[in-house]
Amino acid sequence: MDGGVGLLQRQLVDYRASLFNEGILNEQFNQLQSLQDESNPDFVVEVVSLFFEDSVRLLNELAKSLDQRNVDFKKVDAHVHQLKGSSSSIGAQRVQNACIAFRSCCEEKNVEGCLKCLQQVTKEYYLVKNKLEILLKLEQQILAAGGSIPVQSEVI
Amino acid sequence: MGLPVGTVLYRIFRSCKSCGRSRAAEGTKRFQGDVLQEEFQFASSYCLSSYYSVFVVRVAIMALLAILIGMLTILTWHITKVYTAKSLNSLAYGLRYELLQRPLLRMWSLLNSTVEITTAQVKLSEYVIRRYTSQPITRAQQVELYDVMRDVTWALFASHKALNAITVNYKNGFVQAFHRDHRSNGTFYIYSDLVNYSISNSYEMNTISSHQRWNDQSVQGNLSAIWYRVPLDPVSGEKIGKRQTIPPDDLINIAGPSQVPDGVASWHVAVSKFTDSPFLSAALPVWDRSNTSIVAVVGATTALFSVGQLMKELVEFHRGHIYLTSQEGYLLMTSTNAPLLRNSTAGPKLVMAVESEDNVIREGAQWLQRAYPNKFPPSHEVHVENARLGNKRCYIDSFFLNLKRLPMVGVIIIPREYLMGKVDERALKTLIILISASVCILFIGCVCILILTNGVSKEMKLRAELISQLEARRRAEASSNYKSQFLANMSHELRTPMAAVIGLLDILLCDDCLTNEQYGTVTQIRKCSTALLRLLNNILDLSKVESGKLVLEEAEFDLGRELEGLMDMFSAQCINHNLETILDLSDDMPKLVRGDSSRVVQIFANLISNSIKFTTSGHIVLRGWCNKSNVHSGMGRTLHNQKECTSANAPKSKEQAAIANITRRKDNKMAFWFEVDDTGCGIDPSKWESVFESFEQADPSTSRTHGGTGLGLCIVRTLVNKMGGDIKVIKKNGPGTLIQLHLLLSPSMKGDAEQQRQHSLTQFSHNSLVVILALSGSVGRSILSQWLYEKGVSTWQVADWNELIHILDPLFQVRSSFEKDTIDDHQSASELLSKKASRVGIGISVFIVVVDVVLLDLTTSIWKEQLKCLGKYCGRAKFAWILNHNTSNSVKMELRRNGHLLMMNRPLYKTKVVQILEAAIKEKDNLEEQKVGASPSAGVHQHECIEINSFHYDGESSDDSDGAERCRFEKKKRNRTRKPTISQFTVVNNLAKFTEEYLQNNQHDTRAAKCSSSHDRGVSTETELACKNSRCGEEYETGSCPEERNDMYLSQGKGQRSLEGLRILLAEDTPVLQRVAAIMLEKMGAIVIVVGDGLQAVNALNFCKNAEVSRAASPLISEIASHPQISDASSFDLVLMDCQMPKMDGYEATKVIRKAELGTGSHIPIVALTAHAMSSDEAKCLEVGMDAYLTKPIDCKLMVSTILSLTRRMSQFSFATASMKS
Repeated sequence: MDGGVGLLQRQLVDYRASLFNEGILNEQFNQLQSLQDESNPDFVVEVVSLFFEDSVRLLNELAKSLDQRNVDFKKVDAHVHQLKGSSSSIGAQRVQNACIAFRSCCEEKNVEGCLKCLQQVTKEYYLVKNKLEILLKLEQQILAAGGSIPVQSEVI
Repeated sequence: MGLPVGTVLYRIFRSCKSCGRSRAAEGTKRFQGDVLQEEFQFASSYCLSSYYSVFVVRVAIMALLAILIGMLTILTWHITKVYTAKSLNSLAYGLRYELLQRPLLRMWSLLNSTVEITTAQVKLSEYVIRRYTSQPITRAQQVELYDVMRDVTWALFASHKALNAITVNYKNGFVQAFHRDHRSNGTFYIYSDLVNYSISNSYEMNTISSHQRWNDQSVQGNLSAIWYRVPLDPVSGEKIGKRQTIPPDDLINIAGPSQVPDGVASWHVAVSKFTDSPFLSAALPVWDRSNTSIVAVVGATTALFSVGQLMKELVEFHRGHIYLTSQEGYLLMTSTNAPLLRNSTAGPKLVMAVESEDNVIREGAQWLQRAYPNKFPPSHEVHVENARLGNKRCYIDSFFLNLKRLPMVGVIIIPREYLMGKVDERALKTLIILISASVCILFIGCVCILILTNGVSKEMKLRAELISQLEARRRAEASSNYKSQFLANMSHELRTPMAAVIGLLDILLCDDCLTNEQYGTVTQIRKCSTALLRLLNNILDLSKVESGKLVLEEAEFDLGRELEGLMDMFSAQCINHNLETILDLSDDMPKLVRGDSSRVVQIFANLISNSIKFTTSGHIVLRGWCNKSNVHSGMGRTLHNQKECTSANAPKSKEQAAIANITRRKDNKMAFWFEVDDTGCGIDPSKWESVFESFEQADPSTSRTHGGTGLGLCIVRTLVNKMGGDIKVIKKNGPGTLIQLHLLLSPSMKGDAEQQRQHSLTQFSHNSLVVILALSGSVGRSILSQWLYEKGVSTWQVADWNELIHILDPLFQVRSSFEKDTIDDHQSASELLSKKASRVGIGISVFIVVVDVVLLDLTTSIWKEQLKCLGKYCGRAKFAWILNHNTSNSVKMELRRNGHLLMMNRPLYKTKVVQILEAAIKEKDNLEEQKVGASPSAGVHQHECIEINSFHYDGESSDDSDGAERCRFEKKKRNRTRKPTISQFTVVNNLAKFTEEYLQNNQHDTRAAKCSSSHDRGVSTETELACKNSRCGEEYETGSCPEERNDMYLSQGKGQRSLEGLRILLAEDTPVLQRVAAIMLEKMGAIVIVVGDGLQAVNALNFCKNAEVSRAASPLISEIASHPQISDASSFDLVLMDCQMPKMDGYEATKVIRKAELGTGSHIPIVALTAHAMSSDEAKCLEVGMDAYLTKPIDCKLMVSTILSLTRRMSQFSFATASMKS
């Protein structure tokens, strides 16, 4: 059993490292994890799921806004800004970067660019969602197996 | 018109040539890179097209001009020439007509008169003859008849002078004639001999057959008769000579019956051999009574000579030639003297006009014959204006005089030259003048057009160039602007990872599990990261300045304190070098000024770090003085002036005065002058300007040996310029660099602090202090000594230990002997010394010995002996120790054990000296008090240790602490984004103190109380704090090394909930951020209430206030509050406000909150949370009334420190008020 946990732990570490290396996550996620302790055992899961909900809502709003004839760029910009804020808070770096590009498109009032950026953001969002879900699942497996989640030693 | 065409051709040729040239230029430029090519092609094509258009315009204008001038010329010429010619022609015609008409008329009148005379003669003859023939004629009658006839004829002849001859030829052959010879001017009577005539017979016979006989008889008679000529007196008609026989018909032409064949009058032109002009002779028959037979023929001859004379006269007057011809072409009269007759064998004959000897007449006649060979125009009238005779052009006019028997043609030839000569000449001249004038005008016009269009084309070219250059400049500016903007926008993106790296390293450093080696490595990494961040900040600062986003703040700050802090920091850095850092600010500088403190500090930090980098040994002096007046009271200045020997000083001070004058006029700003003087490697004079350029270093090799990017000085200059100042390198005696700068800052209105300091300074002189400066650095020592001397404090300067002992020994001997009223002469070391000693000895109260710790021999254990040696003076003098930053703890312990409680870190500057002096005075007062009161706590007092903090956290007395605190806080706020190294140090430093205080407030309360109990309450809180610090400092070293402190904080902060008990309202719309921030804060021990937008935040705050109020009324009501956390909260300590939120954003909410607070006097700290990292956002945040500013993602430490600093102030404030109340 111990070996299984160890394997899982190593897998988790590797996986997390890969996420960092690919730039999907950044150190903010570590900060997030460091905030998780006995008083808030499911803090990361909570925040991440909050992020998912919020992002889905925002993405829908964005799609709706951009679908209209006269695009309200102010609104779009506000949404993107929110998405950027929340993604940067959990450390979803690529979503954040996509959001930055999105905002610059928005400032130019470039509808096509915005649509492209929306696609990009959506793509990145689903990517990070999948990855995070796997990560969290792994962590839960480890916890279920009675192991402890290894602290991140390698950051960059 | 040939000239304009020529110019046009020339222009075309030239344009072709220039085209070729430009193409050639294009060819050469093609090699110079592709970037230029495009622009050049654009420009050249533009040029070419413009050139063509200009060329076309030129040609068009020239053509127009040419046409205009041509037309004008032609018109002028036409008007002048044609009209004149026409009028002249008509005049000439009239003249010619008149000219010809007159001889003709004369001719006509001549003819008429001849005819009249003839007719009169005929009538008279008829009368006479009929009278005599009415009866048979006798011989006598016959003679009588002839006599009568002769008298009658004579009467007629005499009355008509023009007559040449008058003849009467009787039927019987008798002839009577009168003749005037014009040549001899004689008048003659010519008659035939009467002898041969049988009057009766012949007369009778003649009556029968008239014709035949007449002819025969006349012929016979002519042949046979003898002719006589008698000269007569031309007036009276008397015979004056004898008669002469002359051959018949020889002299004159006697008109005979043959000339009147049909019995009517006849005309003909006759010639005679005696005159050279022809005659006009008329003949009329004299009929008998029955009108059946002719009895006589009367002839009259008139010379045409007179007509010729008239012609000559006319021609003489008018020039030209006139001639008359008969219809057949014989010349009758000419205006010339050419002979009209030709002598031939058959006697003189008339000459044909075409054969005349006169050239003109001949040619004219020939011309007429040529022109009209056969058919003369009807009535022979010809008017030719342009007949060419020889080489002359002539007018030829002919008129026809139609006499019945004698048709005549008159021809007048007038040379054209005579009539039209002047006109033609004038016309030619006018034409020439006109043409030449028009050509000139055309030429000048073309030149003008050329010049004009040249100017226009040049202007066009220049304009095109200007446009392209403007375009290029705009593009370049835009790109440069984009670059700067990009960099400025990147600031957040660049700094965040660096901040993260440093933060994570900090976390790593507080991990306990690191080995020593790892710890060292990580520390090194951290240092490197800090350096990298500093570099980044430099670049970003520069770009920010370039993109115009740098906004200088205008806040009050303590300039002196900032600079002292800076010197503290750098002296810690340069402790390894054998380097002395000295701060020398003149006393006239206002303490508080308004400006951007962080930028000012940055300027000096850059300058000093630069100096440190290049100075291996010697000193670095930061001098500051103020230009309030031209008298520099700063001691450093005077020192400097002496050194400079006033050579460079005179213009400098003048310049300064000028600047001061300018600045004084401007809104109350003052010029602050600073000098950074080092003894480093110096800068080559040629590089004095360029060192301030970006990325420029005086010596390229230095970047290898010393490192650095060369950005520092550039930023400094930009900042100095931005503050309205100037910076330059100045010539210096001796090695090293002297950089002088001035800044324009407005002094604060609060002059209290300054006054207070002045007061405290004057106080020293009253107390008659004596200070022995035992310092290793000579420059700093002399500066301080000078200053103290000016303040009325006596000083000794001592450079090493032995000297110190040598001075101390005699001094205290003197002093003691003075007390004992005995004077030891031999103990005075020198005369000066003794003099001074005797001077100060009287009324001396306090001896202060400032000793540098390096004077102790720390390498061996001798220093302990030395300390003991000093111990004996301890009671009599106050010792203040200047420590190094790395002075070991054991030394400090030893010092403390020896009773040397006054210790401070290097460097020693005026504020510290003032503190030392104050402490000494205070101690003296205490001693006196103790002496008087004999207080039992004297022993405790002995153990009091005063260590003046290097960061002099509360330098001033507590009444000023609020302002100072704000000052400090503001600085910190700014430092956070800009200068992490300093800011972190100070923030952390402060934080450490906050936490310390918290700790001490909570845990060491009793100790603090104990500690402070021995003091009188007048001692300010800062000594309390210092005391506490020192107590705590036994566990960890205080204030010497910032890094240590940092670690200390971290180690401390980790295990501790630093925000314990704080109530924080978090306004954030993003759920993720909400959660994260809430957890962060909660982990720190804060109570967090989360709201979703600005409106809710405002509501929550209002509710709290209401709740508070209502609770004050009745505590029970508060239970109604829905939120349990709110309900038990009196109010929030702090608000974290996101800037961008739905419904009401952070700015709006803040405004509303601040508005609501207006009346109440409360002030809740609001911290902005924003994803923007620009200073403009920060400015906006601060503008609406927020207190601080955090960027997303939230940096935990930064947030905690910010919150603490804000809440701490508030709590301090409340604490103060609480203590006031108590």
